[in-house]
Amino acid sequence: MQVEVDIARKAFTNAAGERHDVLADFNFALGAGEVAVFVGPSGCGKTTMLKIVAGLDHDYQGRVACPASARVGMVFQEPRLLPWRSVDDNVRLAAPKASDEKLSALFAVLELTAHRNHFPGELSLGLARRVALARAFAIEPDFLILDEPLASLDDALAARLRDQIATLVDSRSVTTLLVTHDMDDAIRLGDRVFLLSPRPARILAELPIRTPRNARGEAEIAAIKAEIARRTNGDCAKGDVL
Amino acid sequence: MLRLLSFTVFLATWWGAALLAGGEKLPPPPVVLAAIIAEANSGALFFNLGVTLARVALAFTLAMTLGAAIGYVMGRIRLADRLGDPWLILLLNLPALVVIVLAYIWAGLTEVAAIAAVAINKLPIAVVMVREGTRVLDTALDEMTAVFAIPRWRAFRHVILPQLAPYIAAAARSGLSLVWKIVLVAELLGRPNGVGFEIGVAFQLFDIPRLLAYALTFAAVVLAIETVLVQPFETRLSRWRPRAG
Repeated sequence: MQVEVDIARKAFTNAAGERHDVLADFNFALGAGEVAVFVGPSGCGKTTMLKIVAGLDHDYQGRVACPASARVGMVFQEPRLLPWRSVDDNVRLAAPKASDEKLSALFAVLELTAHRNHFPGELSLGLARRVALARAFAIEPDFLILDEPLASLDDALAARLRDQIATLVDSRSVTTLLVTHDMDDAIRLGDRVFLLSPRPARILAELPIRTPRNARGEAEIAAIKAEIARRTNGDCAKGDVL
Repeated sequence: MLRLLSFTVFLATWWGAALLAGGEKLPPPPVVLAAIIAEANSGALFFNLGVTLARVALAFTLAMTLGAAIGYVMGRIRLADRLGDPWLILLLNLPALVVIVLAYIWAGLTEVAAIAAVAINKLPIAVVMVREGTRVLDTALDEMTAVFAIPRWRAFRHVILPQLAPYIAAAARSGLSLVWKIVLVAELLGRPNGVGFEIGVAFQLFDIPRLLAYALTFAAVVLAIETVLVQPFETRLSRWRPRAG
């Protein structure tokens, strides 16, 4: 499934009545099964961009082309679970057609099997994030949108969850859009990494990573990081391909 | 256990007060009990209780259903809120007596007039409570249901309704007590039966034991409904909340 995004301008009006541009000339296209990662400083407009792409915000100038029949799975920055439904019911509400075996397998991958009957209020943030991931994957999405799924987790847990995301993304080819401010996550998960400017967000550079996700060694990751650091310090034009 | 203790304290206070005030003004518990038994034996007690309960149930259901629906629409749609708000303030401040008297004048001394008048008294409170609940619905969860394309009815049942449940429960609770009080007034003014009618008769005859007999048995019925129906329902609705203390 392909996605084309062309946002000419997105502005917010603040309480004082002033208009601020959040996104300007923001365009990119994703190929089927591609994992695109957007990295940018916090507050640059990443979440705003995701909301537009997910079809939650229609107040912008531009166009997002994504097949109407596409199933969209999303992991929000906060888990957004229903506190009055068990973990199992939360996932089933979004994915009523998912078979028991598939759900069991999914819960096993995300290490949630023991928590299926718990209520979200009884879970830690890390667990709740995994439930949100399970919900997004359970619908077998054509298009997956992840908004900082690893933010505010400790390093060890974030690394485990990142591996779990990589496993799930690879297990069935799904077009994925991931937003993060963590360079490490970006390089380990992305097929393509987009670097964003501070507000109003523009795409500063686009960096394809050709090595398969599970074959990326520490040395290679360090090299890519250094390259990105060099790029972001120098002047690089929009859409510049490394 | 604690409930039993508080009931005993209530009985003791009553008895003590009866001794102080004299049996004429406040009959002691045994006299009232005798009146209850007499009314029960004649069958009048159960008939009148039944009639009043049926009116309470009808008026309550009508007011809650309509009130919740109107409150939800007013909470969701700004225009509806602005159009409906003056009406709401008018209804909220209209004395129950005025509504009942007008209903009887316009629609005659009928069952429909009585139930409609009671329902109109309860309606605005249900509207206000459900509207407040609708205003604070979590937009983050609305976005979640939109992205996952959860069908409207499912979203309403599993996402919206549980958020409104505490407001509906509060409206139901305050509503039940309000409705049964107003039903008695409506019965007193224009119905030939029911607890309110019997209390009116007792008032005219200065028959205080009978008055208390009806008032207390009805209060007991309401207490039973509260314990058997309302409280277990609330516990079930809030079972997901981590227990406090």
